[in-house]
Amino acid sequence: MTEPTIVAPAYARLPVTDLALAGRFVTEFLGLPPGPAIEGGACFRASQRQHDLSFVTDAAATASGFECRDEAAFDRAAEALAGAGFPVRRADVGECAHRLVDAALLTRDRSGNAIDLVLRPHYNGRRCHLLRDTGIRFLHGIGLRSTDVEGDLAFWAALGAVVSDRVGDITYLRIDDHHHRIALHPADRPGVLNTVFAVESLDQVMQAYYHAAEHQIRVLHGPGREAVSGLVFVHLAGPDGTIFSLVSGNDDIGARQHRPRRFPFTTESLCTWGSVCTEVPEWRTEAAL
Amino acid sequence: MIHLDDITYVRLGTPDLDLAADFATRILGLEVTERGAKSVHLRSDARAHTLCYVEGDPAYQVAGFEVSDAAELAAAAEVLEALGHRVTAGTPGEAAARGAHDFIGFDDPSGNRIELVLRPEYRGPRYYGTRDAAITGFNHIGLNSTDPVRDEIFWTRVCNARVSDRIGTIPLMRINRIHHTLALVRAEGPGIQHINHQVVAREDVLRSWQLLIRHRVPIVFGPGRHPTSGANFIYFRGPDGMVFEYSCGVDEIEDETNHRPRSFSFEPASLCMWGARPGGLIKGT
Repeated sequence: MTEPTIVAPAYARLPVTDLALAGRFVTEFLGLPPGPAIEGGACFRASQRQHDLSFVTDAAATASGFECRDEAAFDRAAEALAGAGFPVRRADVGECAHRLVDAALLTRDRSGNAIDLVLRPHYNGRRCHLLRDTGIRFLHGIGLRSTDVEGDLAFWAALGAVVSDRVGDITYLRIDDHHHRIALHPADRPGVLNTVFAVESLDQVMQAYYHAAEHQIRVLHGPGREAVSGLVFVHLAGPDGTIFSLVSGNDDIGARQHRPRRFPFTTESLCTWGSVCTEVPEWRTEAAL
Repeated sequence: MIHLDDITYVRLGTPDLDLAADFATRILGLEVTERGAKSVHLRSDARAHTLCYVEGDPAYQVAGFEVSDAAELAAAAEVLEALGHRVTAGTPGEAAARGAHDFIGFDDPSGNRIELVLRPEYRGPRYYGTRDAAITGFNHIGLNSTDPVRDEIFWTRVCNARVSDRIGTIPLMRINRIHHTLALVRAEGPGIQHINHQVVAREDVLRSWQLLIRHRVPIVFGPGRHPTSGANFIYFRGPDGMVFEYSCGVDEIEDETNHRPRSFSFEPASLCMWGARPGGLIKGT
């Protein structure tokens, strides 16, 4: 297997209608400090980087960013995607400035999800001091809606991602030692389904759950534990239909041989503890209780 | 001083034995070891039983503690009588019903029925739960107290309990290495305030939480994590209003001689570091 050309999720750029309102959710609930000012949006930090999450008012500017290993990988990714028939365009200086990266390839998967492959995302000298003790450590992954899972798999395969496991047709993809950093969720439209942040421990997942309950933030699924990765999760409703997920636990599958397993699309597969999701069509395994 | 070695069992009266047995097995996950016409014995660990439902008034609630030998039992009876407690000796038939060699019964200062038990029976085959609740055993109880200060003196001076920590006026007391076997909770009258079973892992508490939700079991408090003992917990209501708890990760007191009890303020954050609120579990919260 060739080494994946991408090393980690870099950022999620999500469309919202009200930047101030969306920003309040992120700063007050997630506790993420703002990053540098960007045109037409607002960006936030969840790590030493300048930009892990941003909101944009122009829905066309939505994208999921993934960091390329190095220049050679960047070039290889461009070639592989073009070769597989995916649109690839180099971002101009302005587009790179918005994304706080040195270079970017703007591309789309088969479903039409905008994917940015970026080179050298900008770091910040100051460490990320969360505005609230939410225990967020880093951007763990991005869940994408997919109208064509096979087609989208070809996209990620071209970048060297491999399938870790499946729940029904939900496909979990890995690019490093984590069980998955990308998940493709069969849906009737493209878009980012959820943005996943890793937190320190179960304590922070549970604290977020209770904090959400006291601040009129809807819990969409969980707290629970994914059967595939073993990660404890809670999925929370963010602004404008966005979903923010907090996860904890050890999902390191390391260098060991892992053959993709297939779990049925049931409540227990999505959550070994048995929590039920009724509000998110992509995760709805049964009718409302 | 009366030396209590461990908490042995709880006996609960119930008007509906079938309902209680159904809850104790299908929801709580205990194993039936003996089913009689008027009682059902359930186990949660190596002992033959740790919970017994008997047909009758739910106000009948008894906590049994093990003492080491016959001399200790006789000495305990003497101490209690000298303090004015009416001590009743168990008949052979009553002892057999408790799977014990011998026992005595008395009321603590709040009127809680307490039994001191000699040689409670163990069973060879391991406990195997009716459902996968991952229970490792019956661990502790909360006991109602009409005067926690007075009762703390009874349990710590007349008996061998030591205070591990306090939350407001609630003393969490140990009789062995486990952080607490007994907690005194202010209440209007006597009664068992909650019954705790330990489970294997933190996630077992959360797994059971989802099962409780599915079975519409009223959840009283949690899931949460106690800052005092570090344990993960969930409290829920069973038959006749009895509160049961699953928890995991109750600390042991490593340094018996040097441990000093800490006092936590009486507020929700002292009871749960995750933010769960005790829904009427304890008066004043």
